[in-house]
Amino acid sequence: MTLPDGQGEEAQGDAAGSSPETPPPAEAAAAPPAPDAKPAPKPAAERPARPAREAEPKEAPRVAPPAGSINETLAAAAPAATLTAYIVPSLQGDAVAVEVGRDDLVAVMTAAREDDRLQLDYLRCLSGVDWQDEGLEVVYHLWSMTKRHGLTVKTRVTYDDPVVPSVAALYPGADWHERETRDMFGIVFDGHPNLVPLLLPDDMTDHFPLRKDNPLQEIEEWQGENLREGAGEDGE
Amino acid sequence: MVAEQQHDFEVVDMPINMGPQHPSTHGVFRMVLVINGEKVVDVTPHIGYMHRGGEKLMEAMDFRQGIGYADRTEYLAQFSAELGYCLAVEKLMGIEVPERAEYIRVILTELNRLSSHFMFMGAFGIDSGLFGTSFTYAFREREYLQDIFEEVSGDRLMYAYFRVGGLAWEVTDNFVARVHEVLKKTQAGIKDLDDLLTTNEIFMARCQNVGAFTADRAIAYGLSGPLLRASGVNWDLRRDEPYSIYPRFKFQIPVGNYGDVYDRYLVRLAEMRESVSIVEQALEQLPADGPIVPEKMPRRLRTPPGEVYAKVESPRGEWGVYLVSKGGDKPYRLKMRSPSFCNLSALREMTIGQFLADAVMILGSMDIVLCDVDR
Repeated sequence: MTLPDGQGEEAQGDAAGSSPETPPPAEAAAAPPAPDAKPAPKPAAERPARPAREAEPKEAPRVAPPAGSINETLAAAAPAATLTAYIVPSLQGDAVAVEVGRDDLVAVMTAAREDDRLQLDYLRCLSGVDWQDEGLEVVYHLWSMTKRHGLTVKTRVTYDDPVVPSVAALYPGADWHERETRDMFGIVFDGHPNLVPLLLPDDMTDHFPLRKDNPLQEIEEWQGENLREGAGEDGE
Repeated sequence: MVAEQQHDFEVVDMPINMGPQHPSTHGVFRMVLVINGEKVVDVTPHIGYMHRGGEKLMEAMDFRQGIGYADRTEYLAQFSAELGYCLAVEKLMGIEVPERAEYIRVILTELNRLSSHFMFMGAFGIDSGLFGTSFTYAFREREYLQDIFEEVSGDRLMYAYFRVGGLAWEVTDNFVARVHEVLKKTQAGIKDLDDLLTTNEIFMARCQNVGAFTADRAIAYGLSGPLLRASGVNWDLRRDEPYSIYPRFKFQIPVGNYGDVYDRYLVRLAEMRESVSIVEQALEQLPADGPIVPEKMPRRLRTPPGEVYAKVESPRGEWGVYLVSKGGDKPYRLKMRSPSFCNLSALREMTIGQFLADAVMILGSMDIVLCDVDR
């Protein structure tokens, strides 16, 4: 098993517990034997610094895609659009992610679908993500059935103006995904042929359940806490 | 095809409501059909009757609790759903699953594919007017498989047997022998259904040239699984974007020629035989013993921040999980990309221009799970 540093609690405990007791063997061998029974403590500068306990990272590391990645082809196919490309290491097959502004979205998606070098013809998933202070995000997972490569396209909008152009004309499969995302996040897909509630009741158009400002009912959170604390004392 | 007849009376478009409580909607699904004579002019599907806000609920559950909820969305292919969810968390945490656990996962997932396809065969036979014959045959076979799942997991429907990193506990001692025994029955059952349906005159007449969908449209709509393959797209995640230990097995990917309802049936039938073959190979290679969870597992599952899109080939197609984590023991956002949802979105285009009676066949051929559609 490979755990990233500072993630697993037990792995972390082991590393912290073993390091103070045993000095690094290389250091001990190099030090000349002192004539006194008590070796003088080394000055602080010579002592190897204890590795700092790494704080849990707050954000995923973003790596620039290597040269020749799909984002360069996309930039060539949609020259007018501003793209920010990076790699999400954990995404694997669709690892290269491209952030675009919503004004460039249709141009980028059209290029992705129509360009001969890309042919990203399969919209496998469309999701909304609520990043609270950083706005709302729409994530498109694209795949090419002929070229066998993938790309993730992301675009962000603010709460005050949650409008994203619709890609339902390009990808008919986006039709229901966009309706669902409007239901859940209140993101309006401009140009969608039929943006009416899909999963929610027809009259529920002003309440967006998956936004973070819309917490679960208290009872469910309480149950979750209860399970973790191993409660049930009041029953015994 | 029946030639268009000229009438001297006016034919008006008539709306017909079907569902949400209707035996051939396979759950709580409603569609409003507009028909002109016998021909369907327009269809408006209405979904959401089973919507329970699963994605929101899973944001409040830790990574262990979420497995149980994955079962409850995809209740005919629970192991596929559990596998997809576990793969997402494992990928984010960087956990490697022990060999033996991988094999048992594959065996159970493929047996689950068989039981799900049996369910399809039974229900689809009813849709096509065979009354209960195919249903009773298919359910007898399904019951044997269900017994294995119950022996292993302790539950008949909501297994919750896979864990992040491996399995909940060891399988029963006689697991291998039991699976061999059931596979024999299963193969006989597949042959029974093959004999009953494939060359049945009425069944063929009801299925052939109904709801045909081209490969281009299938890709554009994001269809997956047997529907996509029936349309002639040679695509299976188990081979093309392999996960778990699927590259170790030899199996064929059946592909259809016409994309009609009959091809979807044939693709599923052929897939069942391939699943039997995969399970046999996996039983042969299964390590006799070994750990079923990694040696060093954190007591509480915490992922680093990041995102992952994990997908598995469920009996209905690509069951994907888009998991966004900000660190901690719960997902920040979890989107379930359910194949039933994406496949069902093509219903309108598939049904328009077909006969009213065929609308039921087309819906049946999609093999949707409404809990998975609505989540």
